[in-house]
Amino acid sequence: MNPSASRIKVQPATESEGRKDYIRIQDFGFWYGAKKALDAISLDVPERRVVAFIGPSGCGKSTLLRNLNRMNDLVDGIRHEGDIQIAGRSIYDPGIEVISLRRRVGMVFQKSNPFPKSIYDNVVYALRIMGVTDRAVLDEACETSLRKAALWDEVKDRLNDSALGLSGGQMQRLCIARAIANRPEILLMDEPCSALDPIATGKIEELIHELKAQFTIVIVTHSMQQAARVSDRTAFFYLGKLIEYDTTEKIFMNPSQAQTEAYISGRFG
Amino acid sequence: MSENSKQSPDAPTPARFQVSRFTLLADTWMGRLIRFGGVSVVVAVLGMLVFLVCQVLPLFSGAKLESLTPVTFEKTAVGFGEDEYGELPFTCDAAGKLEFRHAYSAAGAAAGVVTKTWSPTLAPGQKVTTIRTYPRDGLVILGLSDGNILEVKVTYKIAFDEKGGRTPQPQIVALPAQQLGKKLLPCLDVWSVKGPNGHMVICRQQEAGHDFLTAARLTEKSGMGGPVVTAGNAFSVASDIPDLERVFVPSTADSVIVVRKDGEVRVYTIEEEEVSFLQSFKPFASLPDSRIASAGLIFGNVSLVVNSFNGVEEVWSIYPQVQSNGQTQRRWGKIHDCEPLAGAGQGIFPAVGNKCYLTVAGGRMQIRNMTNGSLRWDAPAPAAEIQQVVFSRNYDRLAVLSADGVLRRWSIEDHHPEASWNTFFGKIWYEGASAPAYTWQSSSGADEFEAKYSLVPLLYGTIKGTFYALLFAIPIALLAAVYVSQFLRPELKKIIKPTMEVMASLPSVVLGFLAGLWLAPIVDANLLPLICLVAALAPAALTAGFAWSSLPQPIRRKVGPGWEFAYLIPFVVFCGWLAWQAAPMIESTFFSVKDLASGQTISDFREWWRQNSGWSYDSRNSIVVGFVMGFAVIPIVFTIAEDALSNVPDALVSGSLALGASRWQTVWSVVVPTAISGIVSGIMIGFGRAVGETMIVVMATGNTPVMEANPFNGMRTLSANIAVELPEAAVGQTHYRALFLGACCLFALTFIINTFAEILRQRLRERYKVV
Ligand SMILES: Nc1ncnc2c1ncn2[C@@H]1O[C@H](COP(=O)(O)OP(=O)(O)OP(=O)(O)O)[C@@H](O)[C@H]1O
Ligand SMILES: [Mg+2]
Repeated sequence: MNPSASRIKVQPATESEGRKDYIRIQDFGFWYGAKKALDAISLDVPERRVVAFIGPSGCGKSTLLRNLNRMNDLVDGIRHEGDIQIAGRSIYDPGIEVISLRRRVGMVFQKSNPFPKSIYDNVVYALRIMGVTDRAVLDEACETSLRKAALWDEVKDRLNDSALGLSGGQMQRLCIARAIANRPEILLMDEPCSALDPIATGKIEELIHELKAQFTIVIVTHSMQQAARVSDRTAFFYLGKLIEYDTTEKIFMNPSQAQTEAYISGRFG
Repeated sequence: MSENSKQSPDAPTPARFQVSRFTLLADTWMGRLIRFGGVSVVVAVLGMLVFLVCQVLPLFSGAKLESLTPVTFEKTAVGFGEDEYGELPFTCDAAGKLEFRHAYSAAGAAAGVVTKTWSPTLAPGQKVTTIRTYPRDGLVILGLSDGNILEVKVTYKIAFDEKGGRTPQPQIVALPAQQLGKKLLPCLDVWSVKGPNGHMVICRQQEAGHDFLTAARLTEKSGMGGPVVTAGNAFSVASDIPDLERVFVPSTADSVIVVRKDGEVRVYTIEEEEVSFLQSFKPFASLPDSRIASAGLIFGNVSLVVNSFNGVEEVWSIYPQVQSNGQTQRRWGKIHDCEPLAGAGQGIFPAVGNKCYLTVAGGRMQIRNMTNGSLRWDAPAPAAEIQQVVFSRNYDRLAVLSADGVLRRWSIEDHHPEASWNTFFGKIWYEGASAPAYTWQSSSGADEFEAKYSLVPLLYGTIKGTFYALLFAIPIALLAAVYVSQFLRPELKKIIKPTMEVMASLPSVVLGFLAGLWLAPIVDANLLPLICLVAALAPAALTAGFAWSSLPQPIRRKVGPGWEFAYLIPFVVFCGWLAWQAAPMIESTFFSVKDLASGQTISDFREWWRQNSGWSYDSRNSIVVGFVMGFAVIPIVFTIAEDALSNVPDALVSGSLALGASRWQTVWSVVVPTAISGIVSGIMIGFGRAVGETMIVVMATGNTPVMEANPFNGMRTLSANIAVELPEAAVGQTHYRALFLGACCLFALTFIINTFAEILRQRLRERYKVV
């Protein structure tokens, strides 16, 4: 799968430029017990842009992504070095509650994981646990998020049905709607389309385009085309190291590293 | 490829694709075996149910009476008697002539043929003015025209012929006439009673239109030429009773009940030869026709069934009542309203040995049970007026003599006359009780004791025991399950889970033993400190949790996730210790009472409870049972709930956490709802265990079937009841079947609750199922 130049769309810059180092990862190393999963990663994610993480399986993309909202805290025996800052503040700052960090940094998982509740309850879950009880506010948030997730028209008549009755693609969009309902600033997506058919994938990719206006998005993907289609910048990882990080255009058209070149041209991975 | 394409359709399958015969055979046979096992389980359960139902059903069948050949006597017969087997009944006419006839065709004698007649020898001028027969005592008592009475004893000797056939031979002994009443006045009625208090005869005479009763106690000794009867002093029972209609003399010979024509009942008590008026009452005073149509004194001598001319039937009995002067005394009062009769009452004839009676009214005769009001039998009554009715001693035969001289006879099959739906589940006013109640009392030392089989106190006890056990067990088990599955370190979880599973296999006999012999005395001695301790634990834990959450992050982070309990435990232990130490002070401040025995003020919560709650205090009480039974239930509920909670997919937990939910919020709004069907199963299995638990209850409570919500006394549960009483119940008896009915109730209880829970579980599972 050699991505031909014609298929690569270069994203036009959005009107208001945000800060360039909205997420700043500095010399970040990470261990699962004795196993080193990440090695001295440094990269900046600009505000309201889409950054794609690519690389062969096991290279640490998910690990890095999960560190951005500290989901790895749940794992036993982890250790990290270096620092990650969001909007200039370290996420390891003792004054920062993990919970508030996660409210700010939403996440969509590889495998859709709707709660066994109604569609409505799924979408407003984050608001409910924040203590919002006003039905009007919840209704509003539900509709906006579902609309943003391009799911509204499909489910508006059955908001009270179980979310488990949706199709795989719908469920994944529901998870996206759920993640954006409390208006986070950053959205982490770990292979959101890996289980979806091309049509659903297309919808989600469109969605990412739209969401970019408001959110900073980090997406892990195994599909070169997808990375090329949705992202502004792309980071290529290999064996826990960041090999190359540049604009998507540059990475795909003219990678500076041989490994990157080899990977995107499908010679390994 | 080429090799395959060459094959023709019927060529043998290559060996590598063939399934070995053994695999196929094993598959078929295992399938059959499993199906057989499944079917056997279903059959076994159904069989058990069928067995239980078969044991219980006879309780609810009425009496079956089979008519035997009637014997026709002279129309002049006014009373009759019979031998033990009813083979050779006799009648007695107004002149005192006895006539024996065979009831069955036997060797040498056809049925209905007169085999013997006998007439009393009277002094010149003496005439028989009244007779009364006591068939079961073989006694005929004649009142004579000069105030004398004559007792005639009829006994049967059985003669066997060579072929082994038996023929009863009547033996008639007339005792010498006794002067009882006023000389030269005819006896109008005579009664004889033989009871634990001796033998007494009473006669009624009339002088100047006034009835009076005279009684005498008789002592009987065997003399040279037959028994010698000496009469004690004759004494007047009631000298002037206007409109006397009927007299009942209980076999205890300690009272006389007189029914007057206007429906008033007067009761006199007799102590030795002292007679005193006790009470008078008018059962039908509120009816337009207050007369008593017929009355009968039920076996046991304390209840009188009366009926009116418009078909009302009531039972009056003597029981302790609070009098206007504040004292409690035994007086007569109404205890039952019976089902209305088909017409005016025509006679009430009690059975012996149980509380049944035959009531004749409106052309029907019915056998009814006085205590539970059940109708045992209903049949058309003979057209002619009924003279006398006799139930055999074991309530297996019924004989009815009517004015046309026909003695109609039935055999009775009614093994459980005291059983009815009402007996087991209704509130029943037993004789001697001051109010209707649910009572279980299956045996007693007294002979005339009436067993009481209400299952309600046992059901109550079962529910009470279960309630206290679950009250203790469910919160602890579920909270522990949530904590262990969601918060605890995996290393510790690996130790705790198997430990709990081992706990589940503790034999309940051991737990019961510990509860009754070790825990109960400890709880008894330290009741208030323990209550304070328990009351302090929950607030202490909550305070600790709150204090923890308000500690600054850096300090909290020093304690690794899952180790928070290490900080909690010392705090909670300290609070518990404080509560324990404070208990004596609390006891003396709030629970000081005056000791009834010594009159001193003492600080004792138990005494305070006795005096202030109106309930008793028992050292083997529901708290102890609930606690120990909780121990039996906790591991089961814990294990199942913990499994369910642990099986909630991690993806859901991370999903929730990633949305900014705290761990507790995640547990509460995602983990618990997802695991809810498993949690419900756990609770239900725990419930089943608590309901059926036997040994702990048997050993750790006093097993008194009381109905009190009091946490400080015991209870008797259905299962404990079966365990305690089945060994002493005779197979096939009412008691035995009542125990099986208890088992059925237990079965039904668990069945209903489990079905309900299963439906609930299915619903929840449907709702919270995870893809
Ligand atoms: N919970 C964990 N405990 C121990 N090691 C882990 C854990 N999660 C991941 N790893 C290891 O860390 C390395 C990086 O894993 P990671 O999941 O980040 O890879 P990935 O790039 O997302 O791969 P993929 O594309 O297959 O999802 C792998 O070698 C993996 O085995
Ligand atoms: Mg991954």
